[in-house]
Amino acid sequence: MSVHTDERPDPGLPAGEPPAARPTPRRRVLPSPVSGQELVLLGVIVVLWIVLAFATPAFFTAGSIQPLLVATAPIALVGIGMTIVIITGGIDVSVGAAIMVCAVLTAKLLVDAGLSLLPAVLVSMAVGAVLGLVNGVLIAYGRVHAIIITFGTANLFQWLGLQIFASKTVNGIPQTFDVFGRGVAGRTFGVPHAFLITVVIAALAWWYLRHTAGGRHFYAIGGDANAARLAGIRVQRRVLLAYVITGVLVGLGACFTIAQGTSTLDQSVGSGKELAVIAAVVIGGTSIMGGRGSVLGTLLGALLVQTVSSGVTQLGWNSNLSDLFVGVFIIIAVGADLLRERARRAR
Amino acid sequence: MSTTTPTVSEPATPSPRPSRTEGPLGSRLLRAVLTQRIVLLAILIVVVLVTFMVMDAGDYLTAPYDPDYLAAALINAVPLAMLGLAELLVILSGRGGIDLSVGAIVSLAGMVFGFMYGEWGWPLWIAIIATTAFGALCGALNGFLVSYIGFPALIATLATFYAFKSLAIVINSQRPISTPPIQDLFSISRSVELPVIGRELPNIPLGIFTLLLPTVIVVWLVLARTTYGRRLFAIGTNDVAARWAGLPVRDTRFKAYLYAGAISGLVAVVTVAQFASARPDAGVSGSGMALPAITIAVLGGVAITGGIGRVSGVVLATLLIVWLNAGILLAFVGNEGSQYQLLALGVVLVFAALLNGLTNRRFTGAR
Repeated sequence: MSVHTDERPDPGLPAGEPPAARPTPRRRVLPSPVSGQELVLLGVIVVLWIVLAFATPAFFTAGSIQPLLVATAPIALVGIGMTIVIITGGIDVSVGAAIMVCAVLTAKLLVDAGLSLLPAVLVSMAVGAVLGLVNGVLIAYGRVHAIIITFGTANLFQWLGLQIFASKTVNGIPQTFDVFGRGVAGRTFGVPHAFLITVVIAALAWWYLRHTAGGRHFYAIGGDANAARLAGIRVQRRVLLAYVITGVLVGLGACFTIAQGTSTLDQSVGSGKELAVIAAVVIGGTSIMGGRGSVLGTLLGALLVQTVSSGVTQLGWNSNLSDLFVGVFIIIAVGADLLRERARRAR
Repeated sequence: MSTTTPTVSEPATPSPRPSRTEGPLGSRLLRAVLTQRIVLLAILIVVVLVTFMVMDAGDYLTAPYDPDYLAAALINAVPLAMLGLAELLVILSGRGGIDLSVGAIVSLAGMVFGFMYGEWGWPLWIAIIATTAFGALCGALNGFLVSYIGFPALIATLATFYAFKSLAIVINSQRPISTPPIQDLFSISRSVELPVIGRELPNIPLGIFTLLLPTVIVVWLVLARTTYGRRLFAIGTNDVAARWAGLPVRDTRFKAYLYAGAISGLVAVVTVAQFASARPDAGVSGSGMALPAITIAVLGGVAITGGIGRVSGVVLATLLIVWLNAGILLAFVGNEGSQYQLLALGVVLVFAALLNGLTNRRFTGAR
């Protein structure tokens, strides 16, 4: 692993250059492990939780926090892939439809073929990977802007999902996926497994993006694809990989979605999830222009979005109001980032 | 013809490549199909019409695919083409311009229209003007965020999509407004016989004449015949160069979003009339109205990078999609048809996008 090369002297400098010529020596190539935005986000979540705890005493009970974490898991998980995609300067609006395809196929296999846990999860992830591959090939090699292609494939996947549904709901899904979070079997120390798995994968992704050459390549592509290509990065393969990773995570996220619901799966599964995922990523401080972002922020962003919608319901307000707050949070999060960026440039 | 677009496909100075007037007919035709989106769309429309008419003759369809049916299907073209034009304006303005919130504006403005016309009993024309102004206000919020604050358009309109969608549902506690005045409005979407030559032609939905045609003409005039239109193309083609040329870049881009919002407000009136009810989720149910509108714009040859796009392309793309969908609906029994419409829309969009990329590289020497 070629880890970040922090302290190596810049070979471009002449040997006799006095050290004073470099005003503030920049020792770090990498940004700090936790960005300011992430700390603020953490603060906002803590404040929200405290406020909610005072407003509705029921909020800080296991019966309320556990469903919140279970619901956060698929958004955050798919958000990890979306973060990588957006870091490369792309976007994937087809994840909602892809979740539907994976979820309905897996649910049908559970019901009809009686698949056990591991094969079911693997099948779902493989299907997700194939869908991601379709996106990736079209975007990387067709050289068309990602949003257009994924709008198109979103329609295709939706058709595919509805075909598998065949105009019926999937009923009587066995409790194979309960291990992910429903009931006592799905929890360790009270934390739902779906959320634990998401945190572990997020930690792995955080390390991969930050400390491996392959991970840094995504940032390089997002910063300037042409420069990245000239620096010897295989841009197309990297971009393809980003969409396949997203696809695999969509597959796993679909399993969490099944686990989260009842024993019935209807055709609205996954619909609108793409926007929720993008909102989580953007609130987490990932720049939609590419080249900047972190998985930690996405995790916090997903938690914030889910806290808001769960809080609105528990306060007894109209649950549709939560979308308004999500919109406001997007504006505040991105607006703060823009203002900071402007201040940095003015200095 | 190409006065509306500074297409790069026709270099002003003679190039070593054979120009369109030279070469064998076959390659000239291929070149026209690949570089002129209008030609391609016209051919595709003919292909779609012929295909379904042949299927109709062979009795594969559940109902006749005849001129009457095609004319009746045009009612679906009204909101689609108008929102496609809204997206055209926004995407033309460049710097990643896109408007995801048009569907949510349709919902919210529709509810506002419902209150003004259905509950408070305002005169129809005042209510329509006020609704359009309200849509423009929503668009102005987008424009302010994108142009003056510097939000990426995708983010700003995603946020306002959430906000408007939520407000539209909450504003009347999830209930639609369908008082008698609103129900009577349905007559706007009825079909009428054209005067003089009407006997020979099928009846055309009234909305085409009252709302769609005026919008098309106004947008075309603005883009092709006004200073503002040239500015819009200029800032979409090259933001920095336009600023150095002294153009009011921010103001121009702001107005593109404002106009898109105003058009969405008008669409809200159409939608309310069509459903005979102001529904809180009119513009966002299912996959919403924004995605088809963006699809139409891209299919019509609007470059997502800005600065390239034509009104005629958007109109032809709408006709193609509307008549394709109408045919698909007849070719399948039950709701299979609406599912296959998704497939068709997806395939057509991916195909059009790939073709855009290919022709850009092949015929303009880009990249």
